[in-house]
Amino acid sequence: MTPANLLVLATVLPLIGFAIVVLLSSRIGSPRFWPWFTVGMVGASLVASAIAYVTFMSGDGAVEVHAWNWLQIGSHADGSPRYLQIGPYVDKMTVLLFAMVTLISTLVHIYSIGYMEGDSRKNRFMAYMQLFTFSMLGIVLGNSLLQLFIFWELVGISSYLLIGFWYEKRGPQLACKKAFVMNRIGDMGFLVGMGILFVKFGGDLVLRAADREGGGVFGSLLLNYPGGAIDALHAGANEWWLTIAGIGLFMGAMGKSAQFPLQTWLPDAMEGPTPVSSIVHSATMVAAGVYLTARIFPLLTPAAHLFVATIGLITLVMAALIACVQTDIKRVLAYSTLSQLGYMVLGLGAGSYTFAIFHLVTHAFFKCCLFQCSGSVIVAAHHEQEMTKYGGLMKKMPITAACFAICTLAIAGASIPFLSIGGEAIAFSGYYSKDGIIASTVNYGDALAAAGMNWGAVFYWGPTIVAYITAFYMTRAFVLTFLGKPRDKHLYDHAHEVNWTMWAPQVVLAAFAIFIGWGFFKVGANLHDTAPAMAQPFEEHEMEHGYHFVHGALLHGFGWMLSIALGFVIYINGFSISSKIAAIPGIAQIHWWLYNKMGFDGLYDIIIVNIFKALAGLMGAFDRLVVDGIVNGTAWVGRELGFLIGGFDYRYVDGTVRGSGRAAVRLGSILHRTQAGNIRMYVLILFVGVFTALAIATPFALGWVWFGLPQH
Amino acid sequence: MIGLGHFLTLSAILFGCGVATILTKRNAIGILMGVELILNAANVNLVAFNRFSWAGEAVAQGGVPAVDGLMFAMFIIVLAAAEAAIALAIFLNFYNHFSTIDIERARMLSG
Repeated sequence: MTPANLLVLATVLPLIGFAIVVLLSSRIGSPRFWPWFTVGMVGASLVASAIAYVTFMSGDGAVEVHAWNWLQIGSHADGSPRYLQIGPYVDKMTVLLFAMVTLISTLVHIYSIGYMEGDSRKNRFMAYMQLFTFSMLGIVLGNSLLQLFIFWELVGISSYLLIGFWYEKRGPQLACKKAFVMNRIGDMGFLVGMGILFVKFGGDLVLRAADREGGGVFGSLLLNYPGGAIDALHAGANEWWLTIAGIGLFMGAMGKSAQFPLQTWLPDAMEGPTPVSSIVHSATMVAAGVYLTARIFPLLTPAAHLFVATIGLITLVMAALIACVQTDIKRVLAYSTLSQLGYMVLGLGAGSYTFAIFHLVTHAFFKCCLFQCSGSVIVAAHHEQEMTKYGGLMKKMPITAACFAICTLAIAGASIPFLSIGGEAIAFSGYYSKDGIIASTVNYGDALAAAGMNWGAVFYWGPTIVAYITAFYMTRAFVLTFLGKPRDKHLYDHAHEVNWTMWAPQVVLAAFAIFIGWGFFKVGANLHDTAPAMAQPFEEHEMEHGYHFVHGALLHGFGWMLSIALGFVIYINGFSISSKIAAIPGIAQIHWWLYNKMGFDGLYDIIIVNIFKALAGLMGAFDRLVVDGIVNGTAWVGRELGFLIGGFDYRYVDGTVRGSGRAAVRLGSILHRTQAGNIRMYVLILFVGVFTALAIATPFALGWVWFGLPQH
Repeated sequence: MIGLGHFLTLSAILFGCGVATILTKRNAIGILMGVELILNAANVNLVAFNRFSWAGEAVAQGGVPAVDGLMFAMFIIVLAAAEAAIALAIFLNFYNHFSTIDIERARMLSG
């Protein structure tokens, strides 16, 4: 089988699993069977993806595209029909993301078995997870923009189902609605972008699969040669429309990847079960936005790039600051995800296609692991999520603590100073991708500065400072949870290490978090093979200026140690030092502002939610007064008509029937008197009858006698 | 000369008397008498028709006498005797039951 066939198989397997579980799980099989069945399905998907990965990477790397005409949508200028084409698009990025998504999904499935233990709707949860995996794989596999959008919406609905899984509680109800609506706002941009592309640049860009003639957005990736279709697009007088289209498509990504200003749904999505968080924040949902932005990368104009970079910068700084003051462990991790997504988006905006996707892959592993660790802690702490109640849990849960520590180092981009093998630093995975992004932003910022935008430097100072902050807030979370003295004696006494279905996936993920970035595995190099020509370089020697800045600003591998040390010093005794700092006038207000997530929820309540509520009220009133009025009026007319017809029926139709009955009764009461048993009366009647008959018959008889029988 | 019309008139009068008797008498025996009158009215008719029919004219011209009407009359006389026997038996039972033969009391045929 070719890689494309394998990947189609890998995509369809979870869907089959979903269908089987939904249809059969309530009828047959033991409760223990179905969760493991879903693990088997997604595991088979992983095997198929792994084989595809090995086959494709060992091949010549040529892009494999298959397209089938699905629906006819309009026609070309020459009259030939135009089709929406579907099918797989397989390049190195596709196989890599397939391997990553299926691996993480498999591990999360296994983790869910432990986490959802005892939940009565466990099978349904596993079925949703299958659907979620299927949708994400569909996005990665898609070869036309519209096909991608179809799966995009499937991801939206499955995330809605999963975030609102515990729908009995108020929090998840609101959170899943919020996630859906926020995504919808972004998707509106996506649709606008596709509409502009369709109308202004020809429908092929949206509908057609990639091919050698440059059809479709994906084809533009393929045809990056000078004078190719994409250059023609950029060379035309449509620059402005192209910018709007690019920003529109990116808005879809802003929704899915929770970028400013649509970021508020992601922290609230914590209301879902922790396995959902771990997959949403790593391999599926939020990855989809970054993936889309990477796929439309060649379409983006310089202005659109600047927009993307600005959004990424705002998100990463804002989220990192908020993460420093949150006390809910999952919330800290959620804002950390936002911040890391900001890095990826900033990277894409800065033109660093390769490092953005590279960071997506490395981040997926350590963030998934971090969430699983937090889930384990939450299970051990009997669903207490506040870090104010934790402390000293390392003794109770050593495996989880170790995994959390490794991933903290990975997200902090830890490396060993002044030590390298073959010219490459020895470090955790986060180091390679994050430093690469910062290095490429240096090039970008300098280019902006050269073009007269003096504030371009903010694009590399921002992420650099946030790199310090990242290490700090992750250390804070680790120290508050696992070190120090227990702050809740009762909770500490009952805490225990989780069972193997939960810690085993953590260990695997932590291992990946250590080495997935190493040059030996060529993740970044393989991704760079798919990069458009306009993307920034990948090799370190091509970006010497950028890396020079990074190494300097991050103190040659001592920077992360500084942050971690600071985190230890402040939080090793719980909140005793930090609460004093937070009480200083001025800082107290900032702390309050950050703790309330910079007030975005309140702001949106005022400007969006209230407007929509008012609109909804208006619509409701219209419904009640006009629509209901018409309906009720029609019903009233029908009712009155019914009374009229009923009256007619009662009086005339029934009257006839009843009248004839009554007449028969009256006749009977008259006639029955003749049957009185009076024999003389009988005789009288008899004779009267006979005489009458004779009187009638006589004329006939006389006629016959006198005139003869009638002649025939 | 006495013709068929006279006989028929007599018969009609007899019949009328019989009917009147039946209608007016309350005594069951009286009614029986009325019935006898009606039967005899019929007998007069039959005998008269026998005489004045085509067959009866043939006798006057020296042909074979016809006896069809006479035979019917004989049958009716026998029938009347039998009927009277049965009727009297019924009246006897009636009397045993009601201690009277007033037919105004005989209303058990009603309904």
